[in-house]
This record gives sequence, structure tokens and C-alpha cells, in this order.
Amino acid sequence: MKRNLWIGIVLVGLNAAVALLTLVWLPYGPAEMAGGRLSPPSWAHPAGTDRLGRDYLTQVMIGARIAMTVGIGATLLGGLIGTTLGVLAAFARRGLDDALAATLDILIAFPTLLLAMLVVAASDGASLWTAILAIGLAMSAIIARLVRILTKRVLTQDYITAARCSGLGWGRITFAHILPNIFPTILVALALQFGLAVIAEASLSYLGLGTPPPNASWGQLLQQAQSTVFRAPMGVIAPGLALVSLVLGINFLADGLRDLIDSDGEALTPDEDLELGVKGPLP
Amino acid sequence: MHFVPKLALALGAALAPFAGPALAETDPSAIIRIGSLYEPQNLDNTAGAGQGINEAFNDNVYEALFRLNDDGSVVPVLAADHTVSEDGLTHTFTLQDGVTFHSGDPLTAADVKYSIERVLAEGSKSSRKSSLAPIAGIETPDDKTVVITLKSRSISLPYNLSYVWIVNDAATDITATEDGTGPYVLDGWKRGSAISLKAFDGYWGEKPKNSGATISYFTEAAALDNALLTDALDLVTTIQSPDALAQFEDPSRFTISEGNSTVKEIMAYNDRVAPFDNVQVRKALARGIDKAKLLEAIWGDRGMVLGSFVPPTDPWYEDLTGVDAYDPESAKALLAEAGYPDGFTFTLDTPNYDPHPITAEFIKAELAKIGVTVNINIITANEWYTKVYQAKDFQATLQEHVNHRDVVFYGNPDFYWGYNNADVTRLIAEAEEVATEEEHTAKLREANRIIAEEAASNWFFLYPQIVVSAANVTGYPVNGLNSQFFLRGIEKSK
Repeated sequence: MKRNLWIGIVLVGLNAAVALLTLVWLPYGPAEMAGGRLSPPSWAHPAGTDRLGRDYLTQVMIGARIAMTVGIGATLLGGLIGTTLGVLAAFARRGLDDALAATLDILIAFPTLLLAMLVVAASDGASLWTAILAIGLAMSAIIARLVRILTKRVLTQDYITAARCSGLGWGRITFAHILPNIFPTILVALALQFGLAVIAEASLSYLGLGTPPPNASWGQLLQQAQSTVFRAPMGVIAPGLALVSLVLGINFLADGLRDLIDSDGEALTPDEDLELGVKGPLP
Repeated sequence: MHFVPKLALALGAALAPFAGPALAETDPSAIIRIGSLYEPQNLDNTAGAGQGINEAFNDNVYEALFRLNDDGSVVPVLAADHTVSEDGLTHTFTLQDGVTFHSGDPLTAADVKYSIERVLAEGSKSSRKSSLAPIAGIETPDDKTVVITLKSRSISLPYNLSYVWIVNDAATDITATEDGTGPYVLDGWKRGSAISLKAFDGYWGEKPKNSGATISYFTEAAALDNALLTDALDLVTTIQSPDALAQFEDPSRFTISEGNSTVKEIMAYNDRVAPFDNVQVRKALARGIDKAKLLEAIWGDRGMVLGSFVPPTDPWYEDLTGVDAYDPESAKALLAEAGYPDGFTFTLDTPNYDPHPITAEFIKAELAKIGVTVNINIITANEWYTKVYQAKDFQATLQEHVNHRDVVFYGNPDFYWGYNNADVTRLIAEAEEVATEEEHTAKLREANRIIAEEAASNWFFLYPQIVVSAANVTGYPVNGLNSQFFLRGIEKSK
């Protein structure tokens, strides 16, 4: 069944396309007070306007760009750090490995919100980059734990012993055998984490720990529209729908990818399944 | 100046409930069901109970020597007579006759002395402690007479005493119980849920127009509004957003009243640091922001634009919106004169809750038009307190100032905004030591005018105080000054 994959590709593709479009075109300027206070949806403003008369559709479109940027940035960061740590832990000696595994468990239990506040406190203030850093760091622990288990499993395989016997160094073995073998599973995990990163970004900017205004992140739009939800429900519905479409799309995509891998005969163990979906970088 | 008629309207609305519209027969046995968002932490206003205790208890359970009325006037309550010596340093109060506490003890001068000392005590967390600092000593020559001697004249003494509950000196701990002289006694307090009050049979004054009240506490404004919609409440003390009002627009079911709060949304500069130490820069920024448009964005057609820090319920109010009216062209000219022809960049520390972020975005858009770049830095309420208020480490910040009669903050050069004008400091200090209310008002008015002329801060607007009640409920206070909510006049018709 490739239906999941296709739904995922369409939804994520749509968000990505909107994000790219905002780089060259927007219906209105981001700070342009083009309409009246809380105008209802119309042809000029399909999602209505906010209290300052700014076009909601424009803001939701900019939100897509921010969500994609944070999603991609955090996933790259988390994937890179997580994979490196995970492989190193798998190779480490017993004592060190245990220590690393325990550290990862603690890191996973550490709330992303607190981490984000630490990152913000350590820098000049909240920004796109502090959000990416906080979410990426939180995600790296989850990826590292998964990579460690997967790598350990691969290490017990006969072909690793064979490669070892033929005189290959651990570095070569890692790049030639381990990473290609665990890559599909990591990819699925990263896809799922991407979705969770988007939600995490929305939560952080809802609390003012994400992208600072006036760059409209979906979380911030939701926060600002909260007090006017009775008068202008579109202010909550539009960013909400956008957020759902992207996260749902990514989950479909991850599911589709997993089905693809499963059909290649690399079924995951129940343990690994758990690892994949058990926790995202959310408080 | 569209806000002038609105003010008149607000005052009209303020009087309307007392005029008593011809309604169906009122029910003196009614228990008024009130909804609020401000549950007190405990029942003692000197023990950090929060604003909720003023709402529930001021003038309801406890009375003071004076009362701050809903229109801002101060009238005697437990003080039947008040005389001041020639030098203004000795105040003699004669107490009302026939007043008894809820426990049955009669009110004596010793209780008054005890009550004032409670506020001044070492461990007291009363916000009024510092305003009562001029008190040198309290004597009680007889049971009906209290003599307060001062270190320096204090024209605001009666006003400040309106914050001092008169408590029975036999009551030791009042954090979970009460012993006041007010028209209501505490009937029960379910923590996290409600405070119920019932009329006190032995009350010395006129009987209240209802037989009690239940104040239910909510943590969510939406839940509070729903309770009123579904007739679980008769009245809610504050509505936080104009957009929640759409639900109550049916006049056959609900009455929406708009009064003047004392909540002022302002942008405070750090007046110590460049470029905000330059008066021309501050004036330019005042002229560069369309306050009426900002107010409309946040409160629709409610609230009022401010020209200074003083709201109309302070006696020294004056309409100063014309001093630096919206005028982007002259703002640019002022900036050029001040040496910033190409504008400048500053960071605006913005608390992370409504309406500050959207206000910050509006300011950013407005000031961009006169060449000034604003970097919005979102911070939490805690950060605001430590970084801005305590460490004074900021360029500009947004804040809502809630206190009544708080223009005196500009007389303190060490205050977080660091406004330092010798004339203002002198006028505000002198104002406290004058002999008459008129002089007091005149001095503060003069100080306020200087502060406005120098655009010490950027004052945007005054929040409206919106109370919504069921249509058959009348007689409640509409301004809610100092968070007070007087219950005795509330009537509910059958």
C-alpha cells in the first residue's frame, strides 16, 4: 500500500511549496495593515484579518516557511548529533556505553521547554535559531538512543565479522556497512521527529520562546487569536489547519516510508517500533 | 477627539445603576452570584493575599476609616469626624458610634491602632506600607478617639487609610477567618472554588440591598463567561477582551457596563540611557504612534486614549492627548533635530501575554514609518520583574500599570524607568506636604503636565473596566478602583 506515502507527499509538498512561494510572493506585506479590525473572510482576505487588520492568509503562509525551516533545521541538527553519538555509544566499551545510555535517558526525560528556556537565556533572546537549537538538541537524544540499538544489532551480524577479518577499519565499516544498513530506519524516525519538531516549534512560539514577532509562526498566531476566537474563529482555524496538514502529512510520509522498508524485508522489532514513536521533543 | 463623548458616556453609565431604572420588584433576600478570575491566596490583605481579597472584602467584610468610592472620591466611614492640627502633623479621628465587629465586640480606638500597626508591622506584605511611612505614632486618649501624629505632613492620609481594614484587636490570625465591621460576614470559603458572604444582622449602617453573595473563582476567562451565559452566575467582575462581549449583546438578557479602570498600557523607556535620555526623541516616538488605532485594535470601540499616566478617576486628571498628538511628519523632524535623521534601532522587551505582543508589533510597524527600527524581545513576567524592574537592564518595555494614583512613581528617580526631573521630584514630594486637597491636586497636576511635556514614557491607552451582569441585576460598581467590588448596593429583581 503506497497510499500513505502519496498522501504524505502531497500534504508535505503543499506546505513546502507554500513555504517556497513566500520567498518570492505574498498576498500582502507581513506587517501591512490592509483590512479592518477582524474582517470576516472575503475574496480580498480569504482567512480574514487580525486585530491590526493584517491578512491572516499571509501570516499563515509565512508560518509555513517558519515551520519548514525549524523542522528541517532541527531534524538535520538532531540527526547529525544523534547519529554520531549513537554510533559512538554502540562502539564504546561496556562501562562507557552504559554511562552514555543513562545520559541519553536523562536527556530524553529533560523537558524541551526547559531546554528552550536555557538556550534562550544563554543567548540574546528568543529567535528562530534558539528554537532550532533547543528542538534539535532534544531530538538528538532520541535519535542517539535509536541509532545505538540499531548499530549494536548490526554489529552482531556475520558480515561485520567478515569485514573485520578482511582488515577494514571501524571507520570504513561504519560508513560502508553500518550507516547504509540503519539508514532506512533512521529516515523514518527522522520523518516522525520532523513532525514533532513542527509541533514543538508551535508550542515554543505560543509561549514566546520561538521566533519573535512580527514573524508569524503558527504557534504565535494561535496565541494572538485566542482572545478573539469568538469574533474571528478563522484566526485560530487557519493556523490550526495548516499545522495539522503539515504534521499529518509528515506522519503519513513516515508511515509510507516504513511500509516501503517493511516490504523490503527489513521488518522492525517491536522494540524499535517503540523507539520510533515513543517520544517526541515535546515537554 | 472621539474619546471625550465616550468618557461622558462612561460617566453616564457609572451613574445609571444608582439611578435605579424602573424594574420589576427587587428581591432583598437574593444571594448575588458573582464570578471572578482573582481568587485570593488567603484572607488577610497584609499577608500577600493578592488583589482578589480587595475585591471580595473591601467595604464588604471589612470597613476602613475612609472609603475610596467608585468615582475616586474619598469619604469617611468608620471615622465620624476628622480634624487636623494647624501644623498638619496631628490628625484626630472620632469613631462612629454603635459599631460592632462580627464577633460581637464593640469597635474601640484600640482596634484602629491595632489595625494600622498590623499594616506597618515588620512582616506585613501590604502594598500600602510605604505610603503610611510618615506615621510617627498612634495614641488612643479614649475609646472613641484616635490621634495619629506624623513625621511630615501627609495630605493623602485619609486616602491611604482607606486601604487599612479595621480589624478586631482580639483577632490574631485572619488568614482563614475574619472579624470586621462590614455589612457582610464570611459564610464559607471553599479554596479553589468560592467565597460566600451573608448579610450581618448587627451592621451599624444601612442594610445592604441583598442578603449575601457568592463569589465563584475561575481560572479561565472562557469558563467564566460560559457560567454567566448559562445562568450559573448573575455577574462577572471583569471581561478581559472586547471580543468575548459578542455573546452578551442581547440586552433583554444581559447588561454590559463600561467604566474607567486604572489599568494603563504604556511603553516605558529607560530614560537613563541614550537615545531615550533625549526629550526630543521621546516626543518623536510619542508622535509617531497612532494610539487611537492601537486602542481600536485591542479594545474595539472601548477604553480611552491617554496623553499621560493619569486616568480620569485621579483628581489631577487632565486631557493631555494634544501635547504630542499623532503626527509622523513632526516626529521625523524632531528626530532629525535630535541628531537621528536616519532613525535608530532599539530593543523592546515585551511580556509574552496579551495585549503586549500585538502592541509591540503595532509599534514596530508604526515606528518603521519614521525610520526607527524596533527589535521585539519576548520575555516572561518573571524576566520582566528581574531584568527590567529590578536590574533596570533594558532600553524600552511594554507594561500595564494597574495602580490608582500612581503618577507619584515619576517622582522617584530610582524607579525602573529612571525618569529624573528635579522639578517633578520636588512637586511630587511637596504635594504630599500641602495643607489642602486643592493644593495637592494643583501640584500633582503641574507635575503631570511636565511629565507629559517631556514624554517621560509613551502612554497608550486606559483599559475599559467591563462588567457584565444578567439584565435583572443592578447597582454594582462600574469602575472597580483598586480592584474593589462593593456588594451592598447590588439589587436583583424577581
